[in-house]
Amino acid sequence: MAKHECEEALDRLFELIDGELTPSELDQVTSHLKECPPCEAERKLNEKIKTRVSATGGECAPEALRERILASLQAAREN
Amino acid sequence: MTLTLAATRAVASTVMSTEQITFETEALSYMDQLYAAALRMTRNPADAEDLVQETYAKAFAAQDKFQMGTNLKAWLYRIQTNAFINTYRKKQREPKRSDAETVEDWQLAAAAEHSSNGLASAEDSALDALGDEDIKRALSELSDEFRMAVYLSDVEGFAYKEIAEIMDTPVGTVMSRLHRGRKLLREKLRDYAAERGLYEKNPKTADKAETKGAADASACAVGEHCNGKA
Repeated sequence: MAKHECEEALDRLFELIDGELTPSELDQVTSHLKECPPCEAERKLNEKIKTRVSATGGECAPEALRERILASLQAAREN
Repeated sequence: MTLTLAATRAVASTVMSTEQITFETEALSYMDQLYAAALRMTRNPADAEDLVQETYAKAFAAQDKFQMGTNLKAWLYRIQTNAFINTYRKKQREPKRSDAETVEDWQLAAAAEHSSNGLASAEDSALDALGDEDIKRALSELSDEFRMAVYLSDVEGFAYKEIAEIMDTPVGTVMSRLHRGRKLLREKLRDYAAERGLYEKNPKTADKAETKGAADASACAVGEHCNGKA
């Protein structure tokens, strides 16, 4: 595998996992990944980290906060 | 049926346009997400609550500046990001980052990150052994710009263009923050795994095995697999 091909693919990995590549760029990068296990391993790792990070959100706003915001909204409407 | 004067006034004062009701309903539906983002921004539940309240106060006051049909969620995130920068970051007295977050910077650094097959699979297994708390901790240790870029992309699923709008910065800067933020995040996760003996950083035996016969191995930025095959 030519070094510059790896560099190009690695440069676009985040755009790939973020769904930001155009269809032709996507073709180019994925066809390299199919032929290059180390680059594919990088993609897999970065994607896994993204998935792990995405699972860390999801906190709910406390009820008291919700009530305060609704009360201030009501007050604003009445002005 | 007649209404008292007071009741009539109350009804009149709360008569709202359909647009206004739609705006309020949709805006309020993002409260949990804005709060979760505020927790990441401020790293403190009390400040996070204040920040979300301030965000809604500003959003409702500026309601007529919002164009219906455009991205309300991104608009709210932008208000919250600005409020965070203007109020809470000042309060936290965090020094403003001055290091160059340029595109060139990550372009130069990007290729160097490639690890070999064996190391990647060891890292992959180590990652599986880390808990969600480790991931949260690693994210919380990133600087504001990196943390928010990664959060907005990974957790909220915003597109680069939307993140650029929210953070009021060019798309190239968003990409740079994502690259550098994720690189740092991964480095932290490797550190946590190494501290617990789940992962060996720079194992000497693996290095030797994978670069054997390649006199110019150090010149190859992308790892062992391109030596001899290029």
